[in-house]
Amino acid sequence: MHDEVTTPKIVLVGNPNVGKSVLFNVLTGSYTTVSNYPGTSVEVSSGRCRIDGRNFEVLDTPGMYSLMPITEEERVARKILLDDRPSLLLHVVDARNIERMLPMTLQLIEARQPVILVVNILDEAERLGMKFDLPRLQQNLGIPVVGTVMKRRQGLDELQRVIASYQGPTPPAEPYAADLEADIAQLSGFLTGDYPLGARATAILLMQRDHEVEELVQLEEGEGFPLIAPVLHSIKFNRRADLNLQISLELKRITRKMLSGALQQEVADHPPFSERLSRVAMNPITGVPLLLLVLYFGLYQFVGNFGAGTLVDFLEGTLFEKYINPAVINFLHGLTDIYWLRELLAGEYGLWTLGVRYAIALVLPIVGTFFLVFSILEDTGYFPRLAMLVDRMFKQIGLSGRAVIPMVLGFGCGTMATMVTRTLETRRERVIATMLLALAIPCSAQLGVILGLLSVVPGALMVWVVVMLGIFLLIGFLSARVMPGENPVFYMEIPPMRMPQLRNVMVKTLTRMQSYFLEILPLFLVASVILWAGKMSGILEHVVSSMTPVVTTLGLPVQASAAFIFGFFRRDFGAAGLYDLQTKGLLSPVQLTVAAVTLTLFVPCIASFLMMKKERGLKVSLAIFVFVSLLAFATGWSLNKFLLMTGLLS
Amino acid sequence: MICGYCSKEIPDKVGLNSCGGCGSRCRKIHCPYCGYANPAPGKFLERLLNPKTKKEDV
Repeated sequence: MHDEVTTPKIVLVGNPNVGKSVLFNVLTGSYTTVSNYPGTSVEVSSGRCRIDGRNFEVLDTPGMYSLMPITEEERVARKILLDDRPSLLLHVVDARNIERMLPMTLQLIEARQPVILVVNILDEAERLGMKFDLPRLQQNLGIPVVGTVMKRRQGLDELQRVIASYQGPTPPAEPYAADLEADIAQLSGFLTGDYPLGARATAILLMQRDHEVEELVQLEEGEGFPLIAPVLHSIKFNRRADLNLQISLELKRITRKMLSGALQQEVADHPPFSERLSRVAMNPITGVPLLLLVLYFGLYQFVGNFGAGTLVDFLEGTLFEKYINPAVINFLHGLTDIYWLRELLAGEYGLWTLGVRYAIALVLPIVGTFFLVFSILEDTGYFPRLAMLVDRMFKQIGLSGRAVIPMVLGFGCGTMATMVTRTLETRRERVIATMLLALAIPCSAQLGVILGLLSVVPGALMVWVVVMLGIFLLIGFLSARVMPGENPVFYMEIPPMRMPQLRNVMVKTLTRMQSYFLEILPLFLVASVILWAGKMSGILEHVVSSMTPVVTTLGLPVQASAAFIFGFFRRDFGAAGLYDLQTKGLLSPVQLTVAAVTLTLFVPCIASFLMMKKERGLKVSLAIFVFVSLLAFATGWSLNKFLLMTGLLS
Repeated sequence: MICGYCSKEIPDKVGLNSCGGCGSRCRKIHCPYCGYANPAPGKFLERLLNPKTKKEDV
């Protein structure tokens, strides 16, 4: 124990799943301890090793993607760099993804860390046709580079030799673009303290609004900080829109320069299918037709025709109608002669006849098919490409490609999607996204029912699609003009496209179906009880009759009022009500289309409204609520007049 | 868990973070990097997903 103070420390850093732990185990053998990093629940492994007659302490840090931490794990990994001041850093990268991982090596060099680059999993990279010239990469980077296949201990001797002979120093960082360099130089010129990451990296992290680093600088500079603050504020303000994007692009540019001559990728006659598909998905000329194909086969054919048609017909029309309902209703009626109880259990708005039947026979098959398509698309990596594809169009409506996440999730459930709008960068973007979600993004069950209903009337679905898309774009476009603010900048690292894995898809689909079912069943039951109570007390009749003028103005039958009342509990509940009306033959093609459009645009369900209030505040959510309701009925009224006047669907 | 949107690894400790909007436990894990809501399998499905819960050595 006597050498504890002087034992040099080797710290392993890198992305998750690159082989850090294998390297750690190989270096340290069985002499390791795992403990929580002080003040956190993040585990850090430490051990000892002996190389060339010298003892080293080795730390295996949690996975990190960059020097700018997001998770607690990354924060701990960086804290180790800041506090422990290692003698040596081993940055372990996966050779197959070196282009995505090298930017962090550049950041470590920028932070003047004593770094050795360990290019692991070389064998698999070579199998993929990647040929590395590691001496050339070492020359380009100016730091030692060792190639390894750590699971076979290949390259271990060389790594130990390099560790033993490491003398540094770390070379200066490659410069960024001149304007960025000027700001970095200006800010770092003020930093007089002793910074573990060096003045340059500290200045860059300050510019990127890293609060921990800012606190460190305040502490280190003490009375000198007020001199730095205005300069920092001015740089942050001037670069508020695109600093992270610019740094990311600069790091990519330097990465390409470092890899030039050091990495050759065998160019096959034809790039892999995944690569070609990825390009097709992101190119506007080919991406839009691909998106239309996905919507046609995935949503229209599979969810609409198969889920809402075939499956619902079988479950609702055959299984429930012919076999389950008569047996259950007879059984429930046999339990009691009390009228109100019979009504509660199996009456018009009974727990079984409305709550359970809607949830199992109408909604579940539709959301099940939707979640299956959704999970397949998710597992292929299509969504980030969709984000890139629609980014330009979204900018016209005050959003960016980042808003694809809540929009896509909104097709699953609007409530959860409304919460996810908090990840959008600007308040303006968050408000516009919240409004568009409330207005024009139907949830999966509603979408499925509507696709199923409208697909039986020629032209009705096309009218619905045109109106919904038109409203989405028009309201988004107008909101972007009315609401002040800047257009957000969107960039993201595109993960590889891959074949969907059956197990992943099934587990994701079943998990979503389970969550959804457990969420809606109690709500449907509660809604049934409220409607039953309304019917028994006569209140429902008054509510329905108060809705009657509105509903008849839209040209709909009086019975459609109930579907709108259902819709306020949940959109999918309302859509199921519409389904009932259609199967009873109460709606003409025009009425069906008008009802579907109005109900889709209609106010979001209670849960969605509560989430809006939580995320955007009462004033904004009430404004959205009123606006959406008025717009829904105005659109329904106009559409009814238009369809009757033109005789389009008659 | 790997995020279904950005493909980054979500640390185990991030845990479930249901939005609470509807009062139910919808079992979602929000990716700290991109905000995407990933479905978190229940115990039965978890066993199906990772029968031996062993990490592959790389």
